[in-house]
Amino acid sequence: MIVSAVLGLVLLGLVLLLALVLPSVTSNTIPFGVRIPSRYAADPVITRQAHLYRRRVLICGGIIAAAGVVSVAVTGQPLLLPLSVLVLVATWYGCFFLAHQEILAAKLAGGWFEGLHQGIAVDTELRTNPPRFPWLWLAPAVVITASTAVIGILMYPSMPQTLAVHFGANGVPNRVEAKSVGSAFSLVFLQLGLTAFLAGIAAAIVRSRPDLDPARPMGSSRWARHYMSLGAKALLGLVAMIDLGLLGSSLLMWTGTVTRWAPLVIVIPVLASVAATVAVLARNNRDRSENEEDTGLTHRDDDRYWRGGLIYVNREDPALLVPRRFGIGWTLNFGNPRAAMLLAGVVALIGLVLALRFAG
Amino acid sequence: MIINVDLAADVPIYQQIRDQIVEAIAHGALTEGSPLPPTRTLAADFGINFHTVNKAYDLLRQEGLIRLSRGTGAVVTAAATDQLLPSDWTARAKTLLAEAVARGMTADDVLQACRTLLDSFGAADQEDTP
Repeated sequence: MIVSAVLGLVLLGLVLLLALVLPSVTSNTIPFGVRIPSRYAADPVITRQAHLYRRRVLICGGIIAAAGVVSVAVTGQPLLLPLSVLVLVATWYGCFFLAHQEILAAKLAGGWFEGLHQGIAVDTELRTNPPRFPWLWLAPAVVITASTAVIGILMYPSMPQTLAVHFGANGVPNRVEAKSVGSAFSLVFLQLGLTAFLAGIAAAIVRSRPDLDPARPMGSSRWARHYMSLGAKALLGLVAMIDLGLLGSSLLMWTGTVTRWAPLVIVIPVLASVAATVAVLARNNRDRSENEEDTGLTHRDDDRYWRGGLIYVNREDPALLVPRRFGIGWTLNFGNPRAAMLLAGVVALIGLVLALRFAG
Repeated sequence: MIINVDLAADVPIYQQIRDQIVEAIAHGALTEGSPLPPTRTLAADFGINFHTVNKAYDLLRQEGLIRLSRGTGAVVTAAATDQLLPSDWTARAKTLLAEAVARGMTADDVLQACRTLLDSFGAADQEDTP
């Protein structure tokens, strides 16, 4: 229980930190998901909203964390802490939306885009000579998955006749299954599925369409190339660490080891690599190249395609992955039918894992 | 190469795309054999109808500057030295030069301005104009 409570608090802290840092690492021409011309980037309305947002997030985060700890202490139910993370995320969005609405209102009232030439910049070289898929970064995940399978095959004869396939919050197995290929290798199948899925997303990232700044297209394109490559590498590093956690969990299952620290074997590599990925991308999230002559064009006002400032829905746009507006990395174009298919694929994958775990 | 389209300009988008590709060839950013993205890909990157890009590519093909091939998209062709300039080139140049003269520029000023522009193109080094 202590382990789960501490992990819940760590997660809460990380989400809170991310919420506080995000306004500083997102593009200064899209403050709180509102597209603005660069000359308004330091407008007092934006500075004030950023300040209010941080204060609200900090106060709400403190209250939610305290409420989470107290409720766990009173009820003894450690699952209340992950639940409070969800409450924090919802509150975070609320704080974002308040700032978004205020900046949007100021932009419309002030006619910030009036008289400006809106443009679209494209770098054809990102198509004719796209960033290469980082195959080397896929190697660790493939090697770990293959090793897990080989170790599993070698250990199969000596494995206990019943395998613990699910653990309670206290680390004690609460469901066991008879030894079979399906039960013993369930985590290997999960490794295979996750590696293939996340490698697919990494491939889509290096081919995705960047959002170039028409005012400084050259520097913007150089940065986009770097960021896409970094994003793909980070994702492949993440899947390697998840596979490592699953290797550790498989070993515990195959040797019949019961320990209260079992959840840490999977949670620590995953949490550490998620934190590292977010940190690396956050540091590089903003295009900082400045030494380029301004072309006089400004990015086109595309607010209407972003529902609530966060969700991209554009049926006219064939792109599937687009850079996130407020946040780190990429998001789906929910106006694209393929986005629905991709989500269905994720649900099917989760369904398959659950089915494998409950089968036999 | 960067193509930067101005949505508020009077010049149609297909014309802007065509003009910027011609300029890239003149500057040497695109050379013989340089690939250009397929029409649908470029249209998707701009978020515009693919007929618009098609129109730009078609103009360039008619002018003999690019070759369209199925599958690979478009490729910049060799500058054909024996090929005459399009018939309307003189007319367009005449309008531009007339504008300069009407605004009071002397012939020397106009020639100097033309020289500076030509010098900014990489291709100008190869064709030693008097």
